[in-house]
Amino acid sequence: MKTFTFDAQVTAALFDRIGAVFALGDGAVVFESGERAEAHDGAVLCACVHPSGDGVVTGGDDGKLVWSRRGESVLLATAKGQWIDAVDAASETGLIAFAFGKTLSVIDVADAAFRRDFVHERTVSGVAFEPKGRRVAASTYGGAALWYARIAQQQPTVLKWAGSHTGVGWSPDGAFLITTMQDNQLHGWRLKDQRNMRMGGYPAKIRNMAFLSRGRLLATPGAQGVVLWPFEGSNGPMGREATEIGFDETSLVNLVAAQAKHGRVAAGLNDGRVWVADPSAQGLERVKADKGAPIVALAFDAETTRLAWADEDGQAGIVDL
Amino acid sequence: MTDKTPVTVLTGYLGAGKTTLLNRILTEDHGKRYAVIVNEFGEIGIDNDLVVGADEDVFEMNNGCVCCTVRGDLIRVVGGLMKRQRPGKPAFDAIIVETTGLADPGPVAQTFFVDEDVKAKTQLDSVTALVDAKHVMARLDDSKEAREQVAFADQIILNKVDLATAEELVAVEARLRALNPLAPILRAERAGVDLDKVLGRHGFDLERILEVRPDFVNPPHGAEGHVHDEDCGHDHDHGHDHGHDHHHDHGHGHGPRGHAHQDDIKGVSLSLDRPLDGTKFTAWLDRLLAEKGQDILRAKGIIDVAGEDRRLVFQAVHMILEGDLQRPWGDKERRWSRAVFIGRDLDEAALKAGFESCAA
Repeated sequence: MKTFTFDAQVTAALFDRIGAVFALGDGAVVFESGERAEAHDGAVLCACVHPSGDGVVTGGDDGKLVWSRRGESVLLATAKGQWIDAVDAASETGLIAFAFGKTLSVIDVADAAFRRDFVHERTVSGVAFEPKGRRVAASTYGGAALWYARIAQQQPTVLKWAGSHTGVGWSPDGAFLITTMQDNQLHGWRLKDQRNMRMGGYPAKIRNMAFLSRGRLLATPGAQGVVLWPFEGSNGPMGREATEIGFDETSLVNLVAAQAKHGRVAAGLNDGRVWVADPSAQGLERVKADKGAPIVALAFDAETTRLAWADEDGQAGIVDL
Repeated sequence: MTDKTPVTVLTGYLGAGKTTLLNRILTEDHGKRYAVIVNEFGEIGIDNDLVVGADEDVFEMNNGCVCCTVRGDLIRVVGGLMKRQRPGKPAFDAIIVETTGLADPGPVAQTFFVDEDVKAKTQLDSVTALVDAKHVMARLDDSKEAREQVAFADQIILNKVDLATAEELVAVEARLRALNPLAPILRAERAGVDLDKVLGRHGFDLERILEVRPDFVNPPHGAEGHVHDEDCGHDHDHGHDHGHDHHHDHGHGHGPRGHAHQDDIKGVSLSLDRPLDGTKFTAWLDRLLAEKGQDILRAKGIIDVAGEDRRLVFQAVHMILEGDLQRPWGDKERRWSRAVFIGRDLDEAALKAGFESCAA
């Protein structure tokens, strides 16, 4: 196990194709190998892996979108001084989408002149590319909007559901769109007929979500254990119940991590503990048994053989499983 | 873990002097680091401080509580600001939230009680209303929002007192007191108030609810019986002498509500010298807030519960109620229950009857 101590909040932990990367509240991007890039004058607010797989793209409260690799940071785009709250990238198409205020912008890593700006009625809280990278979803108050990422003039497909949606993701087959909501629930839409799916019953905020097991399960935090929703068949979780693994009444799961192709799920708890489990097998592997500050960043590498985490006090670690 | 960052919400209609006050906060050499959240403003940093634009994104929670409207943009911005916090070190000494002139302070305040992340990182310190002495009477007449801002406030800064006559100030303060008997009124010229007094009020901190004194609402400055206390906020160099004889300014015959100002919002003070039955009182308060919470802007109280040595303190913002048993009553302290409700169309007689029916 490798450990790190940062004198800053950790906004995100990620794995690019080389190793683990931490994006920090002091504007820096720190690589597992020790390189440090001063990416922002301010805090990193959001981060994702670059479409090339090399380095990370961060959005900051300085209104800049920056690509940091080991030894180099380059400015990709700006947001008129506004905070960049959300970012996602599509390796299939080489596109990056980021949100500031009510605007969702799309840029192309292969074409510096390409930029699309899509404006919404309310502030954009989250962005996510569909798995093929051609469409991009934006969550806002009142629902989500789907845009074709490259087309300049278009009317988005608007998926409505009352309430404040705080984040968004796609099922790996592109058939379902899921949002996290302010009031401790998920909402989902089956895209072929826009049928609504309400997924509630959570005691706490759902800060992220991740598909695993070839898309057959959706894992979320927001409860005393990891909540798993079945997504087999064309009905997804409709009419079926969620299961919960790793239940511990003394703590809440703050974050989950998984990769769609693999069967493992990781949980970062609000008491600083981290565990990994395979829902098709028994037991939990306690990766970090010591309690501490709440886990605020958690990520698997592509093969789910390595896990990175960070807590609210700037303590971080990387473990080989 | 780091202490919670205090948040001051600044309300006031256009022209009351909010911008002047914010500029003072941002430019004065106070050695503090503040984040200021303003409306529709490009993000610019001034020296050590940070100014962030927000878009007053008010929405209702889906939790069935009809008055649980919150500011979604504040949840987002506070979350972003907290990312600058270093382990064990707060990123800012305070956060100041400016609201638009027409804003209802309720959703802003409720955000700090409803969102679990915001609640974990910040503590609402006060809602401070800025009004200007020259125009406030007209604004209170024609604007429901102006009345609500005054009624909701933990403190009121009466600005531009140099532009009003002594008689006008007496009438203004009398009306402000009727709308809000709890909030101290600080007089100011050109928003020149002591920042240490404006920030750090602990207006929502149950531990600090030490005094709720409905029998002694300090009469306004210049009126008979006014007692100069730390909240007067007057500069002793602005030309009139407070040292003696305040009696010249009163005597125009208008009651505490001014001439024709029967505002729809008022403060109702309740008190009782006998102990209350804890169960009865809690049930009454819960029912009152459930039924009338939309009209009750603020409430505070200290209750003498029968058979309990400690003081029961509570405070409420609309339907959001916080209550706790606080320190024990002192040996020589007068044990009595008192509460103040500030709201729209309150039925004073019914409130009094309900409160008194809780007697043990």
